[in-house]
Amino acid sequence: MNLGFGAAATLTGLLIGVLCSLPPLGLALKHRLYRPALLTLAACALGGFSAGLWGGALMLVLMSGVVISYAYVDREDPFTSRASIDEVDFSESNWEFSLRKMAALGRTVRASAHALVRNKAGFLGFLGLVFFFVMIVFGPLFIEYDGQPHYYDRLKPGAKTLFQGPSKEFPLGLDWQGRDVLSHIVYGGKNLIRTSVEAGLMTTVIAVVLGSMAGLLGGVVDQALSALSNFILTIPTFPLLVVLAGIITFDNHTYLALLFAALYWPTLMRAVRAQVFSLRERDYVQAAVALDLGLPHLIFREVLPNMISYIVVNMIFTIRGAMYALVGLVFLGMVPVQEPDWAVMIYIGRTRQVIFNARAASMLLSPIIAIALFQLSLVLFTRSLEEIFNPRLRRGL
Amino acid sequence: MSEQPLIELRHVYRTFKQGRQLIPVLQDVNLTIAPNEIVCLVGESGCGKTTTGKIIAGLLPQSEGEVLFQGRPLESYRGKERAAMRRALQIVHQDPFASLNPAHTIGQILSFPLKHHKMVSGRAELRRRIWELLTLVDLTPPGDVVNKYPHQLSGGQRQRVSIARALTVQPKLIVADEAVSMVDMSIRVSLLQMLHDLRDKLNVAIIFITHDLALAKYFAWGERIAVMYLGRVVEIGPTEQVIGNSAHPYTRALISAVPEADPIRTRSKQRMKLRSEDIPKLTEIPSGCAFHPRCPFFVPGVCDARVPTLGAAEGYAQQVACPPLTEGLGLREYEAAAEAPVAG
Repeated sequence: MNLGFGAAATLTGLLIGVLCSLPPLGLALKHRLYRPALLTLAACALGGFSAGLWGGALMLVLMSGVVISYAYVDREDPFTSRASIDEVDFSESNWEFSLRKMAALGRTVRASAHALVRNKAGFLGFLGLVFFFVMIVFGPLFIEYDGQPHYYDRLKPGAKTLFQGPSKEFPLGLDWQGRDVLSHIVYGGKNLIRTSVEAGLMTTVIAVVLGSMAGLLGGVVDQALSALSNFILTIPTFPLLVVLAGIITFDNHTYLALLFAALYWPTLMRAVRAQVFSLRERDYVQAAVALDLGLPHLIFREVLPNMISYIVVNMIFTIRGAMYALVGLVFLGMVPVQEPDWAVMIYIGRTRQVIFNARAASMLLSPIIAIALFQLSLVLFTRSLEEIFNPRLRRGL
Repeated sequence: MSEQPLIELRHVYRTFKQGRQLIPVLQDVNLTIAPNEIVCLVGESGCGKTTTGKIIAGLLPQSEGEVLFQGRPLESYRGKERAAMRRALQIVHQDPFASLNPAHTIGQILSFPLKHHKMVSGRAELRRRIWELLTLVDLTPPGDVVNKYPHQLSGGQRQRVSIARALTVQPKLIVADEAVSMVDMSIRVSLLQMLHDLRDKLNVAIIFITHDLALAKYFAWGERIAVMYLGRVVEIGPTEQVIGNSAHPYTRALISAVPEADPIRTRSKQRMKLRSEDIPKLTEIPSGCAFHPRCPFFVPGVCDARVPTLGAAEGYAQQVACPPLTEGLGLREYEAAAEAPVAG
């Protein structure tokens, strides 16, 4: 039995989630923290239900932190006491130490949640993303994939015709083969979104690694990398992508993402490089040099934490760009057509002359609106991400 | 000085490249700092105070000359000795808003060096040491700041954290680069008092860099002051002497320009008339004594001919780089009429 992602959207997943919620739930009830208890139950059940054991375990850790951070407030921490140094006992057991760390984690989670909710636009974007997530994960529970052409049975007298507009039975109408458009919307987002996210992640990783190398090492490395990025930037990327996609057959979406990353990293890399250059001259970096804290500390503790919001936000924008490029490729027919896919729906709409058929508007408009809404959610969500990752904007708890 | 100096600068030069031009920021700077001493570096902006501080802290290599730490050049230190030397020299920056990483809490900021250099063993000792350091810089009770982020603290508090961070590695010398100039007036005195106390308690030398002569006078009373002008030290000596019986015309001009708290006194105060208000550019440093185009006691043929070096002058206990004084000519008001009228 698959308890990992395979358990998602099944009763097993729900069970895993509920089981995962038990430890923090018990702790919360013991401390009479009813609201956190309710939140814990909901979060863990959802986590387990949507991502099996992985989601359940993640929620178990996070919610334990949250509950402990509520319960820990009254605990005796030597640092909260106002006694003199001789009266304070600084020793703590491993158990107390892990409690303190969990409480810190919980405070971070709570602060992030606050930041997420506080920005209205960002929260709206978050809700949009949740909507698509729910649609992709839970949609298949309620809507069956309608892949077979109903060309003949729906041509019979009295039956529904092809290219039908929205109706009660088929909320988004029927497509050129008489299939339910709604089912294609529900099933068609997964691959496109996954490929875009993969492309965005790869681009970001390449850009951050090369950019910080160029920025921190400088000299020849910087010159070589800058020259390379300048060279790639001068190439009209999308036409090249089209040509390459024509030469190579992409039977695997990961290759497509990799190709995108290979062509689109320079923009972000240059931005990261500039950031590193600017951060490198900050006083606190100089102080860390004077304190002789070493290069790993400089990169991971001084420079990266101050770039993380910038990097994450740019990653989101790269995901956006990747999605447009992918849709463009499919629209031009440069990628093997694989249903169900939002982009393929647009492609078929174009090749089947749907644009000239008013009744078929929903077949073409539905994927376009889905893509646009997803993109909008992404862009809005970056507002919240900025607040979450920026310690200055985060409210202290 | 019988004791071995902690830091010694010998004929230190520093140039910066700007495009194709080389800008001499420091020229022939000589300075010795004894252990547990306070030295104030005073001068207007652009005179090379901060560059000197960075070179002393080992954050910037000199272009020429030698920087000796406990008798040996900084570059000759290797391995463990180098790490120890690196830790012995610390710097506190001017801007309390830029000198602390906004991503970490105060506790984390202090724990990084303590953990990395294994200054403490175990968590209990780490926490005890952080508590100690925070009380040392008067951030009490420590529990109020330890879990806060830098942006939640005031400028003065941040500067205290900055100092505490420098103290984590038990330095022998702290370069305080304009450490109080961005802090509220009312906080300054307590910060300076704290630095003095730290010097006494922890046996650390302090180089205090400032553009504010009044501040230097307060902080370095009983210690030494070095006055810098356009990349050179023009006067150095005991504070009482440099302030009370200043030798170099530039120092005199600085002192006469210090405003008093009493407006009537400030207005009635005799200002020294400079021949020119403009500070020369670093790319066009005047020949001889760099101050001569502005100096009211200019002696043609002496001041613009030779580059003056620090030396004793009659009637002064401090060292001064002013040819008329060191060569015993005395200072006489320069007659503007004697200057040949410039055509055009």
